[in-house]
Amino acid sequence: MLEHSFNLAACIKPMSLEYFITYKAENHYESMVNDAHWQFLIIPEHNINQEFITVDFKNSIDAYNEHSINGYGFKTIRVQPKSKFKHITFEASFKLIKNNVNPFDFEPNSDIAIDYQKVMELDFKVDFEPFLRQTHYTSIPTETKTLFSFDTHKSIFENLQALNQWVFEKIYYAPEVTDVYTTLDQIIKHRQGVCQDFTHLFCALARQNHIPARYISGYLHQGNGYFGDSQMHAWAEAYIPNLGWIGFDPTNNILANNSHIKVAHGKDYNDCSPLRGVVYASGSNETKHSVLVSHQQQQ
Amino acid sequence: MGKAEHPIFSFYNKNPDLYDEIYTKGGDIKEVYQKLFDIYGGHSIKEFADLNKKARASFFNQGITFQVYGEKESHEKIFPFDLFPRIIDANEWDIIERGSIQRSKALNLFLWDVYHEKKIIKQGIVPLDLISSSNNYLHQMMDLDPPGGIYNHISGTDVIKHTDGKFYVLEDNIRCPSGVSYVICNRTALKRALFGVFNHYQTHTVTNYAENLLDLLETVKPKGVDNPVCVVITPGMFNSAFYEHSYLAKTMGVELVEGKDLFVENDFVYMKTIRGPLKVDVIYRRVDDLFIDPLEFKPNSSLGVPGLFAAYKKGNVTLANAPGTGVADDKAVYTYMPQIIKYYLDEEPILSNVHTYHCSRPDELKYVLEHVHELVVKPVDEAGGYGISIGNRLTKNEIEKVKKQIKENPRKYVAQPIMSLSVHPTYIDESESFEQRHIDLRTFTVLGKDKEFVLKGGLTRVALEKGNLVVNSSQGGGSKDTWVLKK
Repeated sequence: MLEHSFNLAACIKPMSLEYFITYKAENHYESMVNDAHWQFLIIPEHNINQEFITVDFKNSIDAYNEHSINGYGFKTIRVQPKSKFKHITFEASFKLIKNNVNPFDFEPNSDIAIDYQKVMELDFKVDFEPFLRQTHYTSIPTETKTLFSFDTHKSIFENLQALNQWVFEKIYYAPEVTDVYTTLDQIIKHRQGVCQDFTHLFCALARQNHIPARYISGYLHQGNGYFGDSQMHAWAEAYIPNLGWIGFDPTNNILANNSHIKVAHGKDYNDCSPLRGVVYASGSNETKHSVLVSHQQQQ
Repeated sequence: MGKAEHPIFSFYNKNPDLYDEIYTKGGDIKEVYQKLFDIYGGHSIKEFADLNKKARASFFNQGITFQVYGEKESHEKIFPFDLFPRIIDANEWDIIERGSIQRSKALNLFLWDVYHEKKIIKQGIVPLDLISSSNNYLHQMMDLDPPGGIYNHISGTDVIKHTDGKFYVLEDNIRCPSGVSYVICNRTALKRALFGVFNHYQTHTVTNYAENLLDLLETVKPKGVDNPVCVVITPGMFNSAFYEHSYLAKTMGVELVEGKDLFVENDFVYMKTIRGPLKVDVIYRRVDDLFIDPLEFKPNSSLGVPGLFAAYKKGNVTLANAPGTGVADDKAVYTYMPQIIKYYLDEEPILSNVHTYHCSRPDELKYVLEHVHELVVKPVDEAGGYGISIGNRLTKNEIEKVKKQIKENPRKYVAQPIMSLSVHPTYIDESESFEQRHIDLRTFTVLGKDKEFVLKGGLTRVALEKGNLVVNSSQGGGSKDTWVLKK
């Protein structure tokens, strides 16, 4: 699988892609809802590789869609209907241009020891504190502390690649075995999970080896046969001194590339959950999400 | 009231090992208390008891109560109170006031730093652990500039007097410190019951708290607002401090709201009123950090306002205290207060900390091992009183055991001298007489933009159980009116 990622990188031509993304959420409630608040964290981030063309967001009951930010400064949409309802659907569509980047286009530091020294410096640890701490989703049970140790004869990048592969091989991709409440100890025990779980394990082990790692939420274009489902995708970014944040997708054992469209980053899933809601309703409810990503090559 | 057969203090037993607030070591009444002693001494204990009972009944009738949780049915209680006040003279108060301001300012600068450049950590003055292991460190506050640069608008500093006669700070409360309404109600009750005693003393007023609080909150209004609308937000009437929330709103002349009375639109906060929405600019919040906005923090909180944090982050509303102050309101941060004051203000601390020995430092470890019998030994990383050993209550074997534990993992332990709180004559119902009881003092400091205010009074809390050192209201503590004398 590691070979695969190298081949993929090699065959990407320096061109940009135009993406069309549709995000749908459908909610049904047994009884009338009087009061509800939602916050969507689904708008792709604007960065050097991602340029926007359009953002369109609709809801089925014509409630006001408010564009805002969350606590980390990422773009959100808040919806607070003023009328009662039993069903509501949300539909977002984004058009964006993704510039072609070769994930391997960098010069690794020739002196490996300098990088390992750097990550142990106090200033470095302070600056990256949020992405070095153990969180609810990235806590590794004490008895399994030595799951993956870095080989300091190899570069940090090579170690992270090895970690990416290790996580990929450790866990079997299995939808509906885990949910948003699943913690790492269960995942390590059952060795099954989805992108979110792969990413938490990757972050936890990178952090344990003193490398800052952050959880990325976004969209994955599945045209190349990658693992994921018709939901939002998750991968990780790790910080390598002198290189910056590099994206790793342990669910697919590849580096994040043109098919990865980033929305937000955070310490773990909790900082990035695509939909947060407070709904005052009695009785049961049903929610469905779907995501569709398609592209067209640009000249 | 006629001359008494049994003067009030005729049965007062003085324990010479304790620091008594009204008697000197030689057994004389301190000068500042002499007049009060003469006035009260003219009455019998029975007369005092009757008056005391009436004063307490008035508390209950006014609804000045708090809730006690945890029993089968939570019920309302009054905060026990007696009519014999505590007096702090002008010189003593000067130290307390300057010391409280100093600590509040230093903590404010510390909070600014840990949410911006983190210089104090990068320079190795406080350990990184202090923030990285804290659940109260809110990353959402990173690089956010609160209006006026203020985080801890309201601080409650808990001060005690030790047997050496010096003041020590036990705790800095900078989340949502409570208790100020009792200060004012105690004064009102005492004035009602014994109006005459105030004629003999020049006592500072405490009823100006609300106007000062409102003034200072208005100095930290959001940019572009002329006449800010302030509100007090409460978790609701079942909260233990609900009386205080309603009291403060009423005396400041602002609305008392719950989360459901507010809403956010286009990142501005509005209050629902019968005349339509009214924009809110400053919120004195008595709801904890993690409950203020279910879309940002605890999603199951129904106490907050969805979208409030976004409005705050955009600078459209001021929250007092700022979210994330809890990181500085911590046992571990406390031990670094002398360094924190020195670092940001370049001053020596005016109020002492209880000295803390870090067993991670070899010379301090040596001292601790030799003095376990007279120290409180605490693990640094455990909360809620677990693993604490109090030296003078240990048997020989237990002392050896503690020593062994410390030696095995010195980094894990800190030690402090056992502090003895000063005592004050307090009327005890059961014995129908005055007895010595331990007391502390919570001062209330308000920081605004380039302005500050310390309430000249404060809450004297009394541990009603004999020998008990815990003075919390929920632990069966009482309180006293506290007089600060003019110069």
